[in-house]
Amino acid sequence: MREPAGAANVVREGGYATVHPFADLSAYIDDALDPSAKAAVETHLAACAVCRTHLAELRGTARLIAALPAPVPSRSLVPRVSVPFWLAPIRTLATLASGAALFLFVGSLVLSGLPFGTGGGAAAPAAAPAPNAPNAGAPAGPVGAADQRTASTASASPAAGYAVNATASPTQELQRSTDATKAVTGTAAPAAQRGDKVTTAPVAVVYSASERPQLGPSPWFWLVLAVGFGALAFVLQRRLRRA
Amino acid sequence: MKGAASEASALLVERARQGDARAFEQLARDVERPLYRHAMRMVGQDDAEDVVQDALLSAWRSLSSFEGSSFRAWIFRIATNRALDRLRSRRRHPELPLDPPGESDDDRSWAEPAATGPDLAEIAGDREALVIVEQALDTLPAEQRAALLLRDVEGFAYEEIATITTVEIGTVKSRIHRGRLAVRNALVARGWKGPAG
Repeated sequence: MREPAGAANVVREGGYATVHPFADLSAYIDDALDPSAKAAVETHLAACAVCRTHLAELRGTARLIAALPAPVPSRSLVPRVSVPFWLAPIRTLATLASGAALFLFVGSLVLSGLPFGTGGGAAAPAAAPAPNAPNAGAPAGPVGAADQRTASTASASPAAGYAVNATASPTQELQRSTDATKAVTGTAAPAAQRGDKVTTAPVAVVYSASERPQLGPSPWFWLVLAVGFGALAFVLQRRLRRA
Repeated sequence: MKGAASEASALLVERARQGDARAFEQLARDVERPLYRHAMRMVGQDDAEDVVQDALLSAWRSLSSFEGSSFRAWIFRIATNRALDRLRSRRRHPELPLDPPGESDDDRSWAEPAATGPDLAEIAGDREALVIVEQALDTLPAEQRAALLLRDVEGFAYEEIATITTVEIGTVKSRIHRGRLAVRNALVARGWKGPAG
């Protein structure tokens, strides 16, 4: 293998054999030869047209390689190893908020005692701000105040409720209102039932319809909030772990 | 040429080594494109982005072990190794074409110009020559290609290339020469008459 190549590199110049320093030409271009080898190549080049041609070709080749168009990546390839300082606290807050919203969702579902998917949303807007609304027909005092609340939370037919209530005796009225308050504050179901038994049947119907405790917005609002915060916390957590 | 720049880079490297992620990201942004250009010619477009991303991430993880003087050479070493690994794993999956025979074809001879052929310099100028160069590079053994690209495109010195590719400097010298010669031969075979200037 060496033999023919070596033979090819041997030329006769002025009666004595010279070996073309082909293998050194690239290193010569790159200025990577030690001084004595460099001097030898230079001496040879001065006398050898073949090597001068080859040198020029190699130099031209190197220049072409250097001139190749530079491709550009389609996206950033820098790994995102740094995290903004606020990322971890926001993640924690989002997790907590998601948990709280989930708690509120479950809580408001349980309190409203509703099967999924009915009524809650429809009654929601009227619920919260009602207690202080003026009501001319209501008796004065604490009993009246309790009644007023009951009436204004009723989305269906407050008028009917009042019509029946008006016929009830003051004691009945008082007990019913007390029980209603208990029910609203979530004390117990039996209390509400007892109250219903005391009053007449139509009242009971109207009453139970009006007695949904509305803790602010619809339960579904809390669910959406819980999912939203949960997703945010998840995304932030992934981002934190990647870093 | 780059005294101030390398000083700034040294500062960034020091900060990155101490765990400053932003400093590292800045360093990575500075070498992102050269790394990609190198990786793309080593492994092709499909895998180049992966190779660079892997290399940068692994650089970040092992930055504390970096003790050399040149961050650029160090990151190129990681990327070149990734690229060669990728090529080796391809070789184990035979659906992809094998690399051409390695450096066993010693002492490539100087091919003479084809007897008849268009003169590239006259017909299409450098543009066609560049296409030939690109094709010729693709046919080189991977190690030769790496050495040649590190030299001619990235401008590393032979000593640096020896460090990057963990071989003797004599091997670097012969790889670069054989690679260049092969590209030259491909050009000459297509009628290239040498540099115009």
